[in-house]
Amino acid sequence: MKKSSLLAIVLAVVVAILLAATACGDDDDDSGADGGAAPEGPTITIRGQDFSEAETIAEVYAQYLQAKGYDIEILTAAGFRAEAVDGIRNGDLDLIVDYIGGSQTELRPDEDTSASPDDVISVITPAYEEIGATVLDYSPAVDGDALVVRGDADAEKISDLVGKNFAFGASAQCYERPQCFIGYTAPDVYGIEFGEEKTIEFGPLLGEALKAEEVDAVVWNTTAPQIEAEGFKVLEDDKGLHPAQNIAPIINTETLDAYGDTLSSDLNALSAAISTEDLLQWNTETDINKRESDDVAAEWLEAESLT
Amino acid sequence: MSGIQVQGSAVSRDVGLWEWFSNPETWTSERGILPSLLDTLTLCAGVMVVAIMIAVPLGASLAHKRKGEITATGVVNIGRALPTFAVAGLLVPISLRQGWGFEPWPIFIALTLLAIPPIYLNTYTAVRQSNSGAVEAARAMGFSERDVLFRVELALGAGLILAGIRIAAVQVVATEPIRAYLGGDGLGRYVRDGLGQNNQTLLIGGAILVAGLATATGLLMGLGERLVLPEGVRRLRVSQSRTV
Amino acid sequence: MIPEILANRNPLLRWDWVVNEWDQIQEALLQHLQLTFLSVLYGLLLSAVLAAFALRYRWALSTVTATTGFLYTIPSVALFGLLVPYTGLSARTAIIALTSYTLLILVTNIVAGFRSVPASVIEAANGMGLSPRRRVLTVELPLALPYIITGLRIATVTTVGLVTVAAIIGQGGLGRLILDGLRRAFWTPMTVGASLSVLLALALDLLIFGAGAAATPWTRRVRR
Repeated sequence: MKKSSLLAIVLAVVVAILLAATACGDDDDDSGADGGAAPEGPTITIRGQDFSEAETIAEVYAQYLQAKGYDIEILTAAGFRAEAVDGIRNGDLDLIVDYIGGSQTELRPDEDTSASPDDVISVITPAYEEIGATVLDYSPAVDGDALVVRGDADAEKISDLVGKNFAFGASAQCYERPQCFIGYTAPDVYGIEFGEEKTIEFGPLLGEALKAEEVDAVVWNTTAPQIEAEGFKVLEDDKGLHPAQNIAPIINTETLDAYGDTLSSDLNALSAAISTEDLLQWNTETDINKRESDDVAAEWLEAESLT
Repeated sequence: MSGIQVQGSAVSRDVGLWEWFSNPETWTSERGILPSLLDTLTLCAGVMVVAIMIAVPLGASLAHKRKGEITATGVVNIGRALPTFAVAGLLVPISLRQGWGFEPWPIFIALTLLAIPPIYLNTYTAVRQSNSGAVEAARAMGFSERDVLFRVELALGAGLILAGIRIAAVQVVATEPIRAYLGGDGLGRYVRDGLGQNNQTLLIGGAILVAGLATATGLLMGLGERLVLPEGVRRLRVSQSRTV
Repeated sequence: MIPEILANRNPLLRWDWVVNEWDQIQEALLQHLQLTFLSVLYGLLLSAVLAAFALRYRWALSTVTATTGFLYTIPSVALFGLLVPYTGLSARTAIIALTSYTLLILVTNIVAGFRSVPASVIEAANGMGLSPRRRVLTVELPLALPYIITGLRIATVTTVGLVTVAAIIGQGGLGRLILDGLRRAFWTPMTVGASLSVLLALALDLLIFGAGAAATPWTRRVRR
């Protein structure tokens, strides 16, 4: 008796869940183009990398183009740079937005990096051409690499860490990059010896670890909103190890040609409108105020009168 | 890049799997395979001891009293469905804020929750299904309830209980690598670094190490069961495991 | 107590998020169901074939058990990572990995089920002149069914839990919510993702249990 009524309740829950999941599952709101001549061309597939800022950036570019009447498909954010570049290479993706210095470490790891965005662009443009993609104008918005310490740390620039035996925390990627761990420890660059090296997933855990004094210095990004909120400080890169990290859209050349100049000028206009402060503000919304990246992107586009 | 002294962290992508495995440095350096293995085994052993200390007495006493049959399956199923990664991930910030650090509490608790269900279920089933004739006979011979539990029910069910412990141990060893994603190291570090650095050698090598360790754990514990169990109980186990 | 929780910007569960992001939650739940269903379905089909071999040939049993056992122990994160270069960040990658994790449980239970059929029953069926195929389908399969159902329950519950890990390759259903929460140190999606995944596992478990009980009415009398 008792058992069968329990079964009945659970079955009811199952049915309810299934109904909830299937019913009104997808109500696509294709607002489409608002009057005027919609640009003609193939569907543009976009996928953001799997962290808040990249997800918001992908949403901004996708929603902007959608409002201009382009045919856009936005995929769930997944993977990081390697997967984004692979997507461009094998044609799964038409448009990615990447940090230019990061793109260089992916495509031309052996060439010297530079703090000047134009130098970096001159390296990655031919590299992307090889895989059938075009690098459009870079944005003034920068999200650079940052070596971050607690506010009370006795250091202002990265070379101040020499001889301090700080405990160091960074993602697995950093440990194999000349512009990151390898550069910090190389005798001919910074020559720092860290007391301990910890691998920590990129993201808020870095801040938690720094605050809890599990580590004393972490490799983060300049637009991480927790830096200001927690009173951390970014050390000055006094030997110019970190490359320029402006954001730039990279688009499949065939797709770009199919649309002609309108697409590139539309994208360039958007890139020019984004500033570093905008990135910081978006991250504050998503990571501190816990809002969703698509809402944040829509709000910003509206406020800037871009949609 | 090879000219720069890197402190045991990065392995070049050009190094092949065999070359990596056959380099003694890979095994013995400060963050090499052997120290990582020891790290992993220590944590897993601790988890298993705690899980056994919780699950066996609880399962045995409840089953002896014939109580909590529905909760038995319910608890086990929740435990099985609980995403270990989410549990550990939720616990990490709490642990950090309490000043307990990244390790070992979050991963320890999450793995213990993973290990308890199979041990509990098998202990419960073993005691519950022990031959009622033997139990009645023991009572008739004047065994105390305590003796009935320890000398009859648990003794007869030992095979099933050990099997539960083995299943739990394999799961714990195979799941422990997630700790590499939560500020720890252990054997999972190679998988994490391989994925993060796009390095197939580390990724495949790490996967082989973890899968090999889990397989070895299962085999060795299976062998241990054979040695520990008396002939009669071993035979019993075969017929019993078929009725589960 | 309540005002204290409300005052916190990041409580374990923020109901307004659940309401606003209901679409996203539904989509995640649906994807979770799809991945689970397809993986267990393919797993069952593949296991049936493997189990048939294992029951037929002695050498096949140990090979199949060893292989599926090894697959089962590969850490899920690593298996996803290994497959991505070949099958991309796709549902296909998730399903291949998840299917491989169901094999050990399903094969073991199917084999145990058919082994549990008493030899006398098989002889009786042969004596009645049943063809081997009819004997397997009408006599052995129904008797093995309770074991197969048990295996199916364990495989399904395990798969529901493992689907969450597929979030690292952009699939993962409810795991997506968990990962998103981890990345942003935002507890609400983690709580929602983890608890819905547990509920889904329990619900599917009872569903299969119920279906199994309905399909094998003769086992009910044996139950104490």
